[in-house]
Amino acid sequence: MTFPLRRFRVEDDSMRPTLAAGDYVVVNRWAYRFRRPAAGDVVVVRDPEAPERFLVKRIFDVNRSRIEVVGDNEGRSRDSRMFGPIPLEGVVGKVWIRLRR
Amino acid sequence: MSLLYSLARLLDRISPAPIAYAHCDIPCGIYDPHHSQLAAHTVIRMNDLINQLEKPGASATPEQRQEYTNKLARYLATKEQHAELAKNEIRILWGDYFKPEHLKTFPELHDLVWKALKTASKARQEINLQAAEDLLKATNDIASIFWKTKGFETITAKAPYPTERQTVYPKYK
Repeated sequence: MTFPLRRFRVEDDSMRPTLAAGDYVVVNRWAYRFRRPAAGDVVVVRDPEAPERFLVKRIFDVNRSRIEVVGDNEGRSRDSRMFGPIPLEGVVGKVWIRLRR
Repeated sequence: MSLLYSLARLLDRISPAPIAYAHCDIPCGIYDPHHSQLAAHTVIRMNDLINQLEKPGASATPEQRQEYTNKLARYLATKEQHAELAKNEIRILWGDYFKPEHLKTFPELHDLVWKALKTASKARQEINLQAAEDLLKATNDIASIFWKTKGFETITAKAPYPTERQTVYPKYK
């Protein structure tokens, strides 16, 4: 069993103003064990175009087995508008705590 | 900076946190060194105009002084902006376009870019035609590498602007 919490450091600007480069987020990897992802959740997902890389985005839409994510800074974000929906297995967890720089 | 943030920083030293990218780089793939060359031409032109400007003598009227100051200020402002523009365009090519494999073919690239940025700063800070000429040369050198990585041959021709300096252009197929 893995420890539920994992921290990530944020890079780049697509989640501004919610998250800025240099912030830390603590992600709850068990968040979706008992409930489904919901639109509006800020999540860390595996980049569908480079699975070794993590992205932090906001859920925009949820359907049966996939979610669509966008950055809060829509003008400067590579997200589901380009790479399409992400399978639920690609979701690492929900951002639980945000540590501002 | 909050205590928890400091704690996270401390934890990073023990075991670095993985990075979650709020990725913003839309890989648009549209790059062209021409903007940097154009900006360098403008910097040369501003130096020319400044040097041609007649300085007000001891007997100049306040109106003549005012006119001189107005023109000088406008030329300087444009020179500042375009030297900065050149730097920005060079940085975009360097940071976003050029890839490690390009560097293998053109190992001089990093040094060239570094010098180009420093020259651009000099051209921005000073009324210095030579620095402006050096900036154009640097942007030409970068352009010629850029077009080679794109598989285009280049020609060097006189620019169709008042500056008329030699400029590197791609030979479109």
